[in-house]
Amino acid sequence: MYAWIWRKLPGPFAAKLTLAVVLALGVVALLMFIVFPWLEPRLWFNEVAVN
Amino acid sequence: MFAPVGKSGTATKETAPAPLGKGGVAIRTAGEILITLGLVVLLFMVYELYVTDLFSAGKQSEASDQLNGEWEHDRTLHPELIDGKAFARIHIPTFGVDYNFTIQEGTDEAALEVGPGHYKGTSLPGEPGNFAVAGHRVGKGAPFNDLDNLSSCDQIVIETSTDFYIYKVLPYDDEIEDWAGGKGADPKCKGVSTLRDTNSEDGGAYSETFGRKVVLPSQGTAVNAVPYKDAETLPKAQQAALLTLTTCHPQFSAQQRLIITSVLTQQVPKNQVKDYGDLLSKIGEA
Repeated sequence: MYAWIWRKLPGPFAAKLTLAVVLALGVVALLMFIVFPWLEPRLWFNEVAVN
Repeated sequence: MFAPVGKSGTATKETAPAPLGKGGVAIRTAGEILITLGLVVLLFMVYELYVTDLFSAGKQSEASDQLNGEWEHDRTLHPELIDGKAFARIHIPTFGVDYNFTIQEGTDEAALEVGPGHYKGTSLPGEPGNFAVAGHRVGKGAPFNDLDNLSSCDQIVIETSTDFYIYKVLPYDDEIEDWAGGKGADPKCKGVSTLRDTNSEDGGAYSETFGRKVVLPSQGTAVNAVPYKDAETLPKAQQAALLTLTTCHPQFSAQQRLIITSVLTQQVPKNQVKDYGDLLSKIGEA
């Protein structure tokens, strides 16, 4: 999978590396700002109230 | 003795690995996906423990500024309770002079992200009954992270637009028996009683009330006007003015709830003290 992505990235080594880092950061940001905030209230381990 | 190493060497003869077949590629890809998922789970832990703190800190300071602004303009006795909006502030001197969080109305996720939240329908600060507040223990600013470090008679200060209400944590389970002759005699425990009715065999209305208790999440009666008892147990005028804090227990788990209950011992109008620091020096905490 990762080898395949690496081959698909265009340009010389430096460009590939830069693109790879940008892609990785993009995935992390997507998780942190969209996926995790959406997921978290659906999990059970952060309940603090009695009801 | 030493054979040359490298491309031209004879000791290591490099042969390119045989190209993977379809099965090999599938196995490698599955492995990569599993490693990736593992990293995502780790990242989620980082998010829970640290990133939510950052998000909540921003929201908390915004709520705090807004509350200060409102209090400057308007000193009404009874705050208007709007879902998710701050109306009071909690200080716990034991956790440091700087420890303070705004208390929001409601205990839903949005309110608790800002800071501790007031259980809707429970009493307000200073009132007879039970002023009940829930707060996160892990992530989201973790306002109630250290609640298990409190001991009986530790002070909890609730600040409203007009007053400081000073509550003290009630005696713990193992201190009740010998309270009057034991820890209760300590000057810092002034105003703290066991709330037990000595005329009644089972201890009366507050027989189930302790400074610290661990209960199941389903035990909603912990925030009743008389904790763990029906509403009709005592008429409102006879109820003690309690403050109950709830959070998850043990830390990092939601199996149980930690319940800290304290009793109102003093009310200090804000016009009698300069600020919170001045209050602390008067109540012997600074």
